[in-house]
Amino acid sequence: MGYDCDLSSVVSENRTRLPIPSRHLGSIRDDGGREMGQRVWRTSLPRFLVGSTQCCRALSLVVVLACPAGVWAADGAVPEAIVSLSLAPRSIEFSGLQRRQQLLVTAKTASGDVVDVTHDCRYGISDPLIAGLDGSVLVAAQRGSAQVTARYAGHTVRGTVRVGQVRTFPRIDFETHVAPLFSKLGCNSGGCHGKALGRKGFKLSVFGSEPDVDYRSLVSESRGRRLFPGAPGQSLLIRKAVGEVAHGGGQRTHRGSLDCELLTEWIRQGMTRRAPFSASLTAIRVEPSERILSPQSEQQILVTAEYADGSHRDVTHAAGYSSNLAEIAEVDESGRIRVGEVSGEAAITVNYMGYVSAVRVLIPRSRGADTISPPALNSEIDRLVWEKLDKMGLRASPVCDDATYLRRVFVDTIGTVPSVSVVRGFLADQRPDKRQRLIERVLQRPEFADYWALRWADVLLVDRQALGERGALEFHQWLRRQIADNRPYDQWVRELLISTGNTGKYGPVNFYRSVRSPVDLTRSVSQAFLGIRMDCAQCHHHPFEIWSQSDFYGMAGFFNGLERRKLSADRELIFHAGYRATRLPQTETVVPLKAPGGAVLSPPEGDPREELARWMTASDNPYFARLIANRLWGHFLGRGLVEPVDDLRSTNPASNEPLLRHLTGLVVRHEFDLQRVMRSILESRVYALSSVANDGNLGDSQNYSHRIVRRLPAEVLLDAICQATGCPEVFAGLPQGTRAIQVWDNRYPSYFLDAFGRPERSTPCECGRSDEPTMSQALHLMNAPEIEAKLAADDGRIAQRLKQGVSREALIEELCLATLGRAPGAREIRIAQTLFDKTEDPRAASQDFLWALLNSYEFLFVH
Amino acid sequence: MMPSFCDGIRRRDFLAAGSLAGLSLADMLRLQSLQAEDHKGRDDVNCIFIFIVGGMPHQDMWDIKPDAPQGVRGDFQAINTAVPGIQISDVLPQIAEVTDKFAILRSMTHGDSDHGRGFHIMMSGKKAGAGDFNGNQNNNQHPCIGSMVAHSGRPGPLPPYISVPNFLNSGGPSFLGATYAPFVIESDPAAPDFSVRDISLPETVSSRRSLRRQEALSAINKFDRPIGAVPEQVRELDKFYQKAYSLMTSARAKEAFDISREPDSVRNAYGMSSIGQCCLLSRRMVEAGCRFVSIENGHWDTHRKNTWSLRELLCPSFDRAIPALLRDLQDRGLLEKTLVVVTTEFGRTPKINTLAGRDHWPNAFSILMAGGGVQGGQVIGSTDRQGAEVADRPITPADMTATIINTLGVDPRTVVHTALGRPIPLVDDGHVVNELFS
Repeated sequence: MGYDCDLSSVVSENRTRLPIPSRHLGSIRDDGGREMGQRVWRTSLPRFLVGSTQCCRALSLVVVLACPAGVWAADGAVPEAIVSLSLAPRSIEFSGLQRRQQLLVTAKTASGDVVDVTHDCRYGISDPLIAGLDGSVLVAAQRGSAQVTARYAGHTVRGTVRVGQVRTFPRIDFETHVAPLFSKLGCNSGGCHGKALGRKGFKLSVFGSEPDVDYRSLVSESRGRRLFPGAPGQSLLIRKAVGEVAHGGGQRTHRGSLDCELLTEWIRQGMTRRAPFSASLTAIRVEPSERILSPQSEQQILVTAEYADGSHRDVTHAAGYSSNLAEIAEVDESGRIRVGEVSGEAAITVNYMGYVSAVRVLIPRSRGADTISPPALNSEIDRLVWEKLDKMGLRASPVCDDATYLRRVFVDTIGTVPSVSVVRGFLADQRPDKRQRLIERVLQRPEFADYWALRWADVLLVDRQALGERGALEFHQWLRRQIADNRPYDQWVRELLISTGNTGKYGPVNFYRSVRSPVDLTRSVSQAFLGIRMDCAQCHHHPFEIWSQSDFYGMAGFFNGLERRKLSADRELIFHAGYRATRLPQTETVVPLKAPGGAVLSPPEGDPREELARWMTASDNPYFARLIANRLWGHFLGRGLVEPVDDLRSTNPASNEPLLRHLTGLVVRHEFDLQRVMRSILESRVYALSSVANDGNLGDSQNYSHRIVRRLPAEVLLDAICQATGCPEVFAGLPQGTRAIQVWDNRYPSYFLDAFGRPERSTPCECGRSDEPTMSQALHLMNAPEIEAKLAADDGRIAQRLKQGVSREALIEELCLATLGRAPGAREIRIAQTLFDKTEDPRAASQDFLWALLNSYEFLFVH
Repeated sequence: MMPSFCDGIRRRDFLAAGSLAGLSLADMLRLQSLQAEDHKGRDDVNCIFIFIVGGMPHQDMWDIKPDAPQGVRGDFQAINTAVPGIQISDVLPQIAEVTDKFAILRSMTHGDSDHGRGFHIMMSGKKAGAGDFNGNQNNNQHPCIGSMVAHSGRPGPLPPYISVPNFLNSGGPSFLGATYAPFVIESDPAAPDFSVRDISLPETVSSRRSLRRQEALSAINKFDRPIGAVPEQVRELDKFYQKAYSLMTSARAKEAFDISREPDSVRNAYGMSSIGQCCLLSRRMVEAGCRFVSIENGHWDTHRKNTWSLRELLCPSFDRAIPALLRDLQDRGLLEKTLVVVTTEFGRTPKINTLAGRDHWPNAFSILMAGGGVQGGQVIGSTDRQGAEVADRPITPADMTATIINTLGVDPRTVVHTALGRPIPLVDDGHVVNELFS
């Protein structure tokens, strides 16, 4: 069968862009591979259906991928002149079990852009007996050397191929070769044998993170019935995998596949746990790590496993991939990214044997001619924001007007809408530095502590139901004091972490009351203060991160030994009785004390939490300052640089890493004085941008090109309604004049607060607070008797002013200032006049006008 | 029974044939579409979707396993029902009398044994991605079934998708947008002072005055920029204002919500329990034109004292409500136009645990379907001797989703678009359970 074909005919297939779901790719490839070389019809299938063959004996035949030459060239326009091509890797060595190598071909255009042409170029091999090409994958055939060429748009790039011993199996190492198969075939996924309890009595560590455990369960468990060295091919493992014996997971591979042969050979060789000279995996390398792509394009990922002995291996086809934003980029199981029309950025997580890495893809907007040079920028923050805007081809909106800015600063910083007199004063102020002065004043206002105590109470689970009244009040007041005193963040967190005492007298120790077990504390502390979501690692290796169970229980060790003595119905004495060994739940192995990513500690003499607090609040801790920086940015700008704000991991990269690094640096430099960090953010130009999108940034939500509009949070909205109507809410049992942002009791019965998304404080996360609109909210704002009573109250704003005899015009102006934070425009005046004209009763007309203002979008949102 | 293709090749054989005969994927998809036409749904069929929250123990209710070993079998006995050959548990004696009106699907299966993720897959037909799905209720990564129906729908006097008495976990619209979120009653119709709050004007506001207010409001809110440039959040709230207004001004809607108009005899027939009165209110609402009502009925997570909980707490009101609903719908000629689904996030473990409870079990469990053209008195699918695995005719949540929306006249293959324009079919890889309708 045609070895005589011209080399140039060994090309990759026509560019096929059918949106075939990746699962189809898998199934076809699995059952197709073996016949492939023997049946001519196969070659007429689109390349992605031919896929990869695993069978080395068929390799020489695979070369016969006879496809029409030059299809791509005939396909038409190459968008931009290509100046050079590069190939990765340039020199390819095959030996032992490494028989496949994904190629990555990158073109550079005249304007300096880099474009992935891996799947578009024509490949050739100087000696098809040495190695063949399966699409863009080079497959070793027999010992020798050859040259591989890739051609695209008139350019050619060459690489060398050397094939060593591949025909016989070398010593097979469990960890290097067998365990990854379980990931590739899906055996150890969370839904199958990777489940916490395994499946049907057979348990594998999820994603192969614990080869020792996997080896044991495969070789020794169940009286060794899974493997049959006497007749390796008849082992239960293999018969199940190929579907000869009923298998809940169905057929995963087939006899004759390389995977199957490899398993068989491993059993025949005596099930080696660790082959001599085999080196352990130390890292994975992913190429490219970041790439700017044009809409409707593709990018192949190349994943290389690196071993302790310096050797490396292509694992592109064995790694797992997932995209964090499928709307922007999708990735299939061969590591091929496809992006659509939508501009933005996405991160592709690459996972291989417990090692993770990410590829960032950016799809800028097509750069118009109107990319303007950045305006005068206020700070390093702005410089970094505009750098990114430029990179993404976005044009920022202009800076907003004074009234908008005032209301925005008030709501974001102190959870309060500005009063009528504040608005009047600020709008009348002619000083050029009035915005800076405003920031200073706002940070000094008492509502600052109220509002931030409320926000922290959400994250730190100050739940009256869990803590009782006394505990919740003490905790809330303690938080409020820390903020009112502007105590450095690291200091109060340290105090909270090591707190000991009576929950009825000492606020912060209540943290250990609402979160009780070492396991829950590990989760809460790591999420609230480090932005590490450890939940997965409680039961198994974290699938998208480096965290393993030993990280989880290593951290739990700091809390193991916490004791609680009941003092009265709602009080406890909480203290740490000293280090106690923590064990893994499954294996009972003792886990050494260790902070996530920190060094292993020897058991300390006293309270081990002190060690944790020291590690955590150290200025070089990689998470602590970074999380608070991201939290603050997310709070003020409406979206964290990392989203969700408390999910910091390498596979969830920041939308602007230099900016996040800069903000983290600010936090450290200002020694955790958060007010100073807030000031820097508030003073920036980006914070002051208008919420009105322009043609150059419409649709952008990741890069702060214009202000993100948000609804007033539940408590802030309720206070704003009270303030506008001049009729405060009465919270029975709380001091008169208490505002909603001051209510420490999160369970205080209030339909209003529930309807507008007050959080339950059951997860250590700001995500409990909802700003989703609902029909109930609209109905409540329009019809609630409670709100109507405020509008009509005899001691309310309208009744009072009318009693004082203010003019109609003055009342209209005041109502606008009280709700919208600005003077009325022609439109509002006209609307008010119409209402007055239609009714005899000026009080009713004023109420109707205020009703309309309270239901207006300008009032309900911060712009 | 394995469904057959038109040419008599079973699905598995067909796949094998595909790979042998050299058919491409496109060929296979084309051939697949040639199989028998799906049951034809109608857009005048509405749905009452009863979600048993916590995990309904299939083996103690619908799929009783008298031959299972001790420690699996449980304490309930199989009893004969109105349909010869169909047996259910003796904890459901009243439901046993109406088995001719519904079908039992005994071979539901999926892989998520966590409540939050179980909700997600059973509410939307789609597996949840990474993350925690327990805390946040409106956590949909894919629209829930109610939102799919609302999205397709014709406007009526009532919101097309209503949730009673609470928001159901994962009952959100996802990328379809808040317009298709449920209207949540947030009040239990079994409570003596039940009313749907805020749907009427305050006492001091006449309808003429309300009209003036509305005029003023729409003048204030008039967008002075193209709608595309209005922030998403504002646009969403705007839609709710419009819907809220049409609800407030609809006499038909208010009447439907007023459960006190039902005679006591009817209310008692359903039982004065949460599930009973939710079922009755649902009937009133679908009668008035609501397309999809979801009922949340909770606390079925019987990790301990399973038998006692079912017998004493959970089943009696359930056993009363369901037959009352089916009979009432039939008497009013509504059953043909109302699909009733009784579903749950998963079943419970075959093994009874040390606390006399059963734990989570998604591998195999049962749900019910009635009305809307469903042929009652049949059982579809089966499980093994212990009720642990599906023995025959696996039905996935995607199949269930396809079946429900198809019955309501919504094509499961309908492609919708995410906010960023990515096309996504309402149901991925789900097939209508056509046996239900034959």
